[in-house]
Amino acid sequence: MPNKILLVEDEPNIAKLFNYILTKAGYKVSYAENGSVGYKKTMEDRPDLIISDIMMPETDGFAFRKMLLNNPDVANIPFVFLTAKGTEEDILEAYNLSIEDYIIKTASPKIVVAKIDSIFNSIKREQEKANEAMQQAAGSLNATLVPGNSPVLEGYNFEFINKPFDEIPGGDFIDFIPLDKNNLAIILGDVMGKKWGAWYFAVAYAGYVRNAVRMVCNSIENFSAKLIMEKLNEAIYNDERISEVFITLSVVIVNKINNSIKYCGAGDLPLLLLKDEGYELVKSNGLLLGFSLEGNYSDIEIEMHCENSVVLFTDGLIDVKRNDGKVQDIDTIAQVVFKLHKNKNSLTDLVKEFIDSASEKFPDDLSLIKITKLNQNY
Amino acid sequence: MGIKEEIYGDVLVARIIFDRATLMEAEQLRDLLSNSIANGYKKIIIDLSECEFIDSTFLGVIVNSLKKVAKVQGDLKLVGFKPAVKAMFELTRMFRVFESFSNLDDAVNSF
Repeated sequence: MPNKILLVEDEPNIAKLFNYILTKAGYKVSYAENGSVGYKKTMEDRPDLIISDIMMPETDGFAFRKMLLNNPDVANIPFVFLTAKGTEEDILEAYNLSIEDYIIKTASPKIVVAKIDSIFNSIKREQEKANEAMQQAAGSLNATLVPGNSPVLEGYNFEFINKPFDEIPGGDFIDFIPLDKNNLAIILGDVMGKKWGAWYFAVAYAGYVRNAVRMVCNSIENFSAKLIMEKLNEAIYNDERISEVFITLSVVIVNKINNSIKYCGAGDLPLLLLKDEGYELVKSNGLLLGFSLEGNYSDIEIEMHCENSVVLFTDGLIDVKRNDGKVQDIDTIAQVVFKLHKNKNSLTDLVKEFIDSASEKFPDDLSLIKITKLNQNY
Repeated sequence: MGIKEEIYGDVLVARIIFDRATLMEAEQLRDLLSNSIANGYKKIIIDLSECEFIDSTFLGVIVNSLKKVAKVQGDLKLVGFKPAVKAMFELTRMFRVFESFSNLDDAVNSF
């Protein structure tokens, strides 16, 4: 998506000129005729960069900049003065207001665009450095939210894929927890939010999930996805630190002896059951974790026959615009998954198909887990 | 475009005037509603009539705000669902948790 620039300039012809120049350079430009309107538009639109004149009626550029600096929500939006005022005094006063650059209006359009491009490139480099540092820290804490390998359970094949939004670890997490030699718990969680903010909560939630699984499964003989969910829900509801950030969760327990799956969901998307003759969406009734102590969770039993598969996915696939003009919904997703399943394509092929058929960047993390009952006697 | 605040007696209405309400818009809404609840508003309506799409972050803020206002014996109700917005609430089962209306007058009068 193009970077958004707010241009604040009282002289219409100059505004038209720089609007044209910047739009031609690939930016999305909005306009305000003075600092007050500029402030209002900044609060509404949250541009990626603000370019402002200094001498304007009602609220001049310096006053506008001070208004922004007094509001922590918008103080860090990069800010550039584009002005005819060029005295040393003006320039020094401007730089005291934490600006990125001060450009004189008589500079050529090419120079103006080059300076703006350079600011955006510099911001991008800083973000990449910060991400790298965070990823190294996460790595050294061993705080991964996605397993390195698929689990092993005789009679079953497991595939999973996780593509974080913008390649930055985010709120989706996957876990495979062996309960005993015959049972495997599979967890797919989606913390509401994106990137590092969601990642921090996802780390906390993943810890809660493991604890809940351990507590429930140590005390009962018949493993229950519903009990795990209820235990989790209670713990999260009572934890003020994390109960403000909501999570959808799918818990699946695969039992290789009786070839069944127990499924319990909390605010999650339906599980997709793929059979030879077609597919079925299996919906759970459970509420988002932490919202209410009455979560309405239940165990849904699914019998697995040979070559049946079950697919779990988070909502990163939903509402993406496709090349055929349609917007991706649950049914579209189910049809594509079933088609590729019949052709024996892998999950990697499936994700590639979704990405290739999308006409826009995916707006969220993408996570899928596929569980297949193998065609062998056990 | 933005979030417009309107007051009808002791009812606060937050009109969401974004085509797509996602992470950034969620922060704006969260701040608005947190401040409103802290300032004593217990009757809150979120008007989504002009919103084509919300993501899970935005939904999370709405859900969390309901939880916060419920703690002070208040309520948060919703107005106007375009198809994709309704689908998000239905998928997460939150549709049945909120009282929702097709128009603002009914929502305001319901308190």
